[in-house]
Amino acid sequence: MSFLRKKRLFILLIGFILLVVLIGFSLRDREELTIIEEIVNDTVGLAQGIIHAPINVVTDITGNIGDFKDTYKENRLLKEKLAEYKGLIYEAQELKEENDELRNNLELTEKDSMRNYKSIQATVISRSPERWLEQITINKGKNDGIKKNMAVITAEGMVGKVMTPSENSATVQLLTGFDQFNRISGKINRKGDNIVGMIEGYDKESKHLIFRIIEESKKDIKKDELIVSSGMGGVFPAELHIGKVQEVVPDKYGLTKTALVKPSADMYEINQVIVVDRAVQTDANPESEEEEGE
Amino acid sequence: MKRFYLPLILLLILVLEGVALELLPESLLKTDLLIASHWVFVFLIFIAVFYDNDRTHFSVLYALIFGLLIDMVYTDLLGVYMFSYACTIYLIYGLKKLLHGNILVVALLGVVGLVVSDMLIYLIYTVVGITDTAWSDYFTSRLLPTVGSNLVFLLLLYPFFAKKLTDWGKDQITKGNTF
Repeated sequence: MSFLRKKRLFILLIGFILLVVLIGFSLRDREELTIIEEIVNDTVGLAQGIIHAPINVVTDITGNIGDFKDTYKENRLLKEKLAEYKGLIYEAQELKEENDELRNNLELTEKDSMRNYKSIQATVISRSPERWLEQITINKGKNDGIKKNMAVITAEGMVGKVMTPSENSATVQLLTGFDQFNRISGKINRKGDNIVGMIEGYDKESKHLIFRIIEESKKDIKKDELIVSSGMGGVFPAELHIGKVQEVVPDKYGLTKTALVKPSADMYEINQVIVVDRAVQTDANPESEEEEGE
Repeated sequence: MKRFYLPLILLLILVLEGVALELLPESLLKTDLLIASHWVFVFLIFIAVFYDNDRTHFSVLYALIFGLLIDMVYTDLLGVYMFSYACTIYLIYGLKKLLHGNILVVALLGVVGLVVSDMLIYLIYTVVGITDTAWSDYFTSRLLPTVGSNLVFLLLLYPFFAKKLTDWGKDQITKGNTF
């Protein structure tokens, strides 16, 4: 009997050591997944893709029924908006032409703009059941040109960044799971000088992104001002919509101000995403995460 | 052939877990409640109670394998689910020898197992620094809804698998393969 007890204790100890080793291995700042993890991720990703199709149909149908109810009201509103936009389109076209001309004069090509990016369409195939991690899996991977730290957006705005790409699938960290190690350099566009700062993570209690303003500017930030990525971090392209300011509060020491930002994109109803590959490459260590913060 | 049924079912459940959250209404997702699905674990309880006899440890073996798979696919942090699931299933395996396997006992073992495994996961994640939820918040916003929703899943599965797994379990005795 005592031998049996000892054996159990022994197994438990070995299990515990194994746990510590495995956690240590995966917490290490690793660049790539191991080959086994990639194979498992791709195989499960394939199965998820198949299973996801019928489920999408069901959720789409229920969603459509809800949409029907609001269609009439929306339609009237949209018609009014459309009239406004017509004017805006002409204006935008004119500005674009003018911009191109000026760029030509400066001998800058479109490629040099930080705004410019290549986009890769992808479908969300699963969401991690572990809610503390806020991860989703998409059906495109390294074979489609996806690399670590690329920004992931939807039509409404930014949703996250690529965390670990496998061959044919990739894990995406959502904005709601960002912490101080995943910063985005952001700005508020103003005439004259922009207000720059950094998204420093997601506050789970208030359910807002935290935008710390770096340079103390005299201008007050108002509610509903749009925060976009600045492209200065070296990883994400510029002008990706991040969110709208909800509230501005002074930080703990009263030296800087912090804005609470509501993400533009819906983090719960994500089906189609676009992975964004910045056209301008920063050759100096483009993979480093710290760079995004500085 | 029959020995491949269990891993296949477990793999299917593992894949389904990834879309589980989309089946919940959006209004439930946006609240503070963090419902985590432990469907693989629920099925492992069935294996422990109905399939395994005194000499086989299939449930613990599958807990190790599929715990690791969950870690790889859904969390990228290896070992956490593997350790929690395997430990808890071993505990369930020990407990089921004391009790006769009917629906009430399975539900009871399910609640005990879910509480223990989810708390182990919470404990490890807190130590590692993935989450910094306070204990009282964790209890109301994660533990209770998680145990509740997975218990519903367990009760739904019971009529389909209780008898079948017992039959499969008897088959393996007659063939005499042990682990």
